[in-house]
Amino acid sequence: MHANDVDLDSCAREPIHVPGSVQPHGALLVLDPADLRILQVSANVADIAGTDAAGIAAVLSSELAAWKASGSLPARLVAPGYPLDIAVHLHDGRVIVELERAASEAMDDPFARLTAFAQQMAGNIDLGDALSAAARLIVQLSNFDRALVYRFDADWNGHVVAEAGNGTLPSYLDLRFPAGDIPAQARDLYRLNPLRLIPDADYTLVPLLALDEEQGRAPVDMTFTQIRSVSPVHLEYMRNMGTLSSMSISILIDGRLWGLLACHSRQPHIVPVRVRDACNFIAQSLAMQIGAASRAQTAAIGVELGRLHTKLLASMADAERWDDGLANAPDTLLAITRASGAAILSQNGFSRVGDAPDEEAVRRLTQWLSENGIASDVYATDCLAAAGFYDRTVTETACGILACRISESDDNWLVWFRPEVIRTVTWGGDPHKVVRESGRIHPRKSFEAWRESVRDRSAPWHEAEIGAAHDLRASIVEIVLKKAEQLARLAADLQKSNKELEAFSYSISHDLRAPFRHIVGFSQLLTEREKNLDERSRHYLKMISDSALAAGELVDDLLTFSHLGRATLATGKVDMNKLVEEVRLGLAEDIKDRAIEWRVGDLPMTRGDGALLRQVWHNMIENAVKYTRPRAPARIDISGETVDGGLLYRVQDNGVGFDMAYKAKLFGVFQRLQRSEDFEGTGIGLALVKRIVERHGGSVDATGTVDGGACFTFFLPVLPEE
Amino acid sequence: MSDLRPILLVEDNPRDLELTLTALEKCQIANDIVVARDGAEALDFLNQDGAFATREPGDPAVVLLDLKLPKVDGLEVLAKVKGDRNLRHIPIVMLTSSREEQDLVNSYELGVNAFVVKPVEFSQFFKAIQDLGVFWALLNEPPPKARQRGGS
Repeated sequence: MHANDVDLDSCAREPIHVPGSVQPHGALLVLDPADLRILQVSANVADIAGTDAAGIAAVLSSELAAWKASGSLPARLVAPGYPLDIAVHLHDGRVIVELERAASEAMDDPFARLTAFAQQMAGNIDLGDALSAAARLIVQLSNFDRALVYRFDADWNGHVVAEAGNGTLPSYLDLRFPAGDIPAQARDLYRLNPLRLIPDADYTLVPLLALDEEQGRAPVDMTFTQIRSVSPVHLEYMRNMGTLSSMSISILIDGRLWGLLACHSRQPHIVPVRVRDACNFIAQSLAMQIGAASRAQTAAIGVELGRLHTKLLASMADAERWDDGLANAPDTLLAITRASGAAILSQNGFSRVGDAPDEEAVRRLTQWLSENGIASDVYATDCLAAAGFYDRTVTETACGILACRISESDDNWLVWFRPEVIRTVTWGGDPHKVVRESGRIHPRKSFEAWRESVRDRSAPWHEAEIGAAHDLRASIVEIVLKKAEQLARLAADLQKSNKELEAFSYSISHDLRAPFRHIVGFSQLLTEREKNLDERSRHYLKMISDSALAAGELVDDLLTFSHLGRATLATGKVDMNKLVEEVRLGLAEDIKDRAIEWRVGDLPMTRGDGALLRQVWHNMIENAVKYTRPRAPARIDISGETVDGGLLYRVQDNGVGFDMAYKAKLFGVFQRLQRSEDFEGTGIGLALVKRIVERHGGSVDATGTVDGGACFTFFLPVLPEE
Repeated sequence: MSDLRPILLVEDNPRDLELTLTALEKCQIANDIVVARDGAEALDFLNQDGAFATREPGDPAVVLLDLKLPKVDGLEVLAKVKGDRNLRHIPIVMLTSSREEQDLVNSYELGVNAFVVKPVEFSQFFKAIQDLGVFWALLNEPPPKARQRGGS
């Protein structure tokens, strides 16, 4: 919002299309379309036409009837014997006839110059050159002192982008004029009626007179007339500018008022209808040129943005996650909106490229955006401060943002940043200055250049860039949805395969154990039954039975191992000293013939699943016992201590040890470092230890040397109490 | 104890059946052993239905029930017996290869009287069967009403 919007509000309320009067260089007749009866006339008909209203109406009657019969479109008429330029149109239920004196002196036919101009426009001409050429030609044709090409910005401020003149009037090139200088209803009239002429700002207005008692008093809508009397505010404005005559022609692009060709002279200056038509032609050619150039530019930007969009899509497709994909293509990400920095917030965290505020600042910004409901999907501003966000940590890096909310539920954002651009704008006078005079607001009296530094603003976001943000957001949303679908499918597949695995291990538990049991059972029955078997036969039977027993144990161990993957931990306080004591008691029978020196330290308490941790101790101590079998005495040290972040337990022995080169295999399933005839076992014990410890969030480790003993440790983090 | 009630052994696997029968025989339990080869047969015996419609009335001293059975599996048989007012006093020992915790939990929830995982080692298996037979067939006193039913 500009402060000066308010200033000319009163001006904006003036009903300028029904002034009730005309300028003195033309005369007006208002007729009833049904019977062409005269309803109103301007007081100067006789002055302009050389005869009174009834007289001229009589001269025109047959032409008017023909005009009416052919559809009543705006047209030029000829009154034989009267040197008049006559225009007629039907509007708001009235036939409106405008009369102007025809040009008296012979003038150059503008046709040749117009053709040259049209050819120039059709060629490959730069837009700036086209604007200047149009201004020059208009000055030549119309003999105004100066012609400006006046372009509206998004806020309807005017900017003089091209100029031509004879030097009588000061240059306004590159000056800006506040939006209020041409209020909304004036811009509406410019859009509807492209040409407007004021030959003399000091004119005396000519009132309309009612000739018909009934209908003559209704106000006449003069939107489409050329000789409409203009607002006194505007005349004052012209006098302030030091110009007594003006003509403006609208430049419309796709129905929107792009700008004006504004002509001025210091002195009163009248331009005949034919010249005005030529100038109008120039303006329309220029509009086509501007439209084509802007469409070409939009197309070029579109192609470029499409290329960048494709690159980002490819990068996102290559990456696991969309945010990584964007962060992996930082240059493209910045180029697509011509930003200097970007930040991405997703459930995976925060990343930024280029010149962007830090995570905390970005989070404050997105919070502000969502709290203010500003960003439903895409939001752009070139001035955060003006939008109400005052956070120096953000604004010192970026004054303008283009923010995309990717998903509302997860609070995912993509935000582009642009830094402050201190622009120096040269206004035609102080745009903030209001002149008040007995309750009425007047336009600025001074047109001296007035410079203003625009702070806290970035370069504005182009419509195409905001469009690109919309498109990119849509793509990301699609990718996120697709990824979510994939994940859901994957989860379903995993669940299914987990179920299958469970069914598989269940089946093993039942069906694989049974035959081993049968082999053992029948071979033992046979052994008992045949008392006379020789030694070798008994040995074979024992081998059969032992093998089946070992296989049965293997199945049991495997089941325990696979079971561990899915069983939930029954966490509680665990006295490790007690567990170690129980394990040693359990092994007592097996080691009653062994000479083992035990050294068991005081073990710190922990939290965990007691039954599983007993299994850990069992496997580790059993291993130590097993691999010290060749030692007499064997020495087994068990200790534990509090370390950083948790507890470390250790079982050390003086057994056969292992080669550190194979350490990586130690904790794998079915990995054995010893020959089975030397040391029995299924190769699952340490894998089980590792799995249990890892399920507690801990880790295992081992050191050893061949024949120099081994030391196994496991670390358990301190688990939070529930 | 002249009216020694039979033991109902429900087992589909012929080798397991042979081993179990051998084990029961070895521990010199005098009770008759009635064999059912699937859950449906076991229920027919208990309900005096189907092939067992004309059998001598009376409940078995104990049912040794394998978990995995054709037609009606062990858990279903267990659920039916324990859900039947007339049958639920009959002791049921689940004999199974399964070390699956869930089977154990389910069985106890359904009111099993004992749950035995068949050991791979035969001597252990033999001892387990022997203990079961002695406890449930000889030592266990059924509730009075059931004894009347069995004796009639």
